Amino acid sequence: MNKLLNSQWLRPFIMIIMLLVLWDLAIRFFKVPAYLIPPPDKVVGQLIAEWPRLLKESSLTTYATLGGFALSILFGVPVAMLIAYSRLVESYVYPLLVFSQSIPKIAIAPLFVVWFGFGIIPKVICAFLLGFFPVVVSTVMGFKSIEPEMIDLARSMGSTRWQMFYKISLPQALPSMFSGFKVSITLAVVGAVVGEFVGSNSGIGYVLQIANGNFDLPLMFAALVVLSLIGVILFVVIDAIEKMMIPWHPSYRNEFHASA
Amino acid sequence: MNDKRTTLKLLAGATVAALAFGSAPAMAQAKQKVSLMLNWYLYSEHAPFFLGKERGYFDAEGIDLDIQEGRGSGPTIQAVAAKSVDFGYADVGTMIKVGAKGAPVKAIGVALQKSPMSVMGLSEKNIRKPEDIKGKTVAVTPGDSMSQIWPLFLKKTGLKEGDFKTVAGDAQTKLNSVINGQADLLLGYLMDQNIKIQDATKKPVTVIPFADYGVNMVVSGIIANKDVLKDKPDLAKRFMRAATKAFEDAEKSPEAAVDAMLKANAKAGVRDSLIVGLKLTTPLYHTPETAKNRPFRVAPKDMNESFTMLLEYGGLDKSAGKVEDYYTNEFLP
Repeated sequence: MNKLLNSQWLRPFIMIIMLLVLWDLAIRFFKVPAYLIPPPDKVVGQLIAEWPRLLKESSLTTYATLGGFALSILFGVPVAMLIAYSRLVESYVYPLLVFSQSIPKIAIAPLFVVWFGFGIIPKVICAFLLGFFPVVVSTVMGFKSIEPEMIDLARSMGSTRWQMFYKISLPQALPSMFSGFKVSITLAVVGAVVGEFVGSNSGIGYVLQIANGNFDLPLMFAALVVLSLIGVILFVVIDAIEKMMIPWHPSYRNEFHASA
Repeated sequence: MNDKRTTLKLLAGATVAALAFGSAPAMAQAKQKVSLMLNWYLYSEHAPFFLGKERGYFDAEGIDLDIQEGRGSGPTIQAVAAKSVDFGYADVGTMIKVGAKGAPVKAIGVALQKSPMSVMGLSEKNIRKPEDIKGKTVAVTPGDSMSQIWPLFLKKTGLKEGDFKTVAGDAQTKLNSVINGQADLLLGYLMDQNIKIQDATKKPVTVIPFADYGVNMVVSGIIANKDVLKDKPDLAKRFMRAATKAFEDAEKSPEAAVDAMLKANAKAGVRDSLIVGLKLTTPLYHTPETAKNRPFRVAPKDMNESFTMLLEYGGLDKSAGKVEDYYTNEFLP
């Protein structure tokens, strides 16, 4: 029993169950009516009843999320490297990026439907716009915080530019980049749903709209749970990739020793 | 030193003021603060309330009316149920659905008794009757009241889902898609989207109202909390007395109503468009059943029809009970 309680993967589930109980108690104690906040058992019931449909719709949302996230990396990392290596690019581009990030995406999302139609593209773009910025910021920081002594050392030993990048800069920047990727993927989920909200026949955003129209709060909360699950799963996947790519990082070293 | 003197002066001033006001008869009958939450940001439909305020109808009933903008009927009804506001102006169909989930709410007056729900598109597309919809693209908002009643309209007019293409999006997308030609038609209210499309494109819009094909549904009404109705029936009566006068006046002079709203909030919209909108709205105050009634007094037959429609098409649960549980005319003048 004790061993079970101590296993890493079980802890979040214990926390979830504790939160569910707290939610239920709060509703009973404060007598919150079901039309304001649905009781957890109703939400779980709806989650089970509508599971096939939710699963189908969530796969569409996941595609849009992954598409947007891939674009974020494809554009974000090169842009960030240019910014990190060139003061000229930084002074021209960086302020503009920050400026663009302050535009509320929900305000311009309807325009994407006008420009790109009702397919998956506007959702991918929404996900990209939300996911792009954290990738850039953290990658810039990663490449800028490389110790100059290391570069000097490598140069004095006659390494090529490519070697310096591959053996010193990139490994040093990776931890920071990955923290940006993790923020980015969770935001990309939100972006995909915003895209579905403004124009779509499918996806979790569409389910949310229907649930809202029918005043089906349990279904709405169930859809939100599924949405969070997508975010969690994608986050875990990136975390695992990070572990494989930078096992030497202090945040993983401890586990390394324990399992060794 | 200086501070003390100021305090003294203030005290003296306050005493004088208290004496002056104390002697006035107004003091004895302080006006009651009453809040009304609307279904949406200000648009033409809301103008009558401002007219009633300007002409002093609410003042005369001892009501100091505070009109708040809303973000959709659902949240407004929730606010009434939670007693965050005194009254709500919201979609009665939505209210019945929320009420069926246990919210203690009731409609104490139905303003729009004839449905403004329509399918509309640019006149140049030559879509004048339901058969013309075949082969066209229709923009809808999934889950909203119009998209739920739409299948009934199709059934009554002999159309099938496969006869046309559907695109789905939120309110803004629906408008954009018709303005930009991604869709030929949209489901909307005949005093709302058509004016917006006309303003944007400068082209005329043709409207096919659901009501013309036997699909009628009550829309906006005054929503109150059942507990408040029990505790303060007098307040509801006074409020509806003032509101009825205000809506009667708006029927006669829509321009004055729009001006009153613009005076209270200059950002409510463009004057001419608002007047056009309100002129399209006031005919919806009455059905053939209630042609001779004062505003807000709804006919049981119209309410029954709407309720049946909600049960069959609107996703209303069969356990919802009787329509009489959801509306009453007893607070009307």
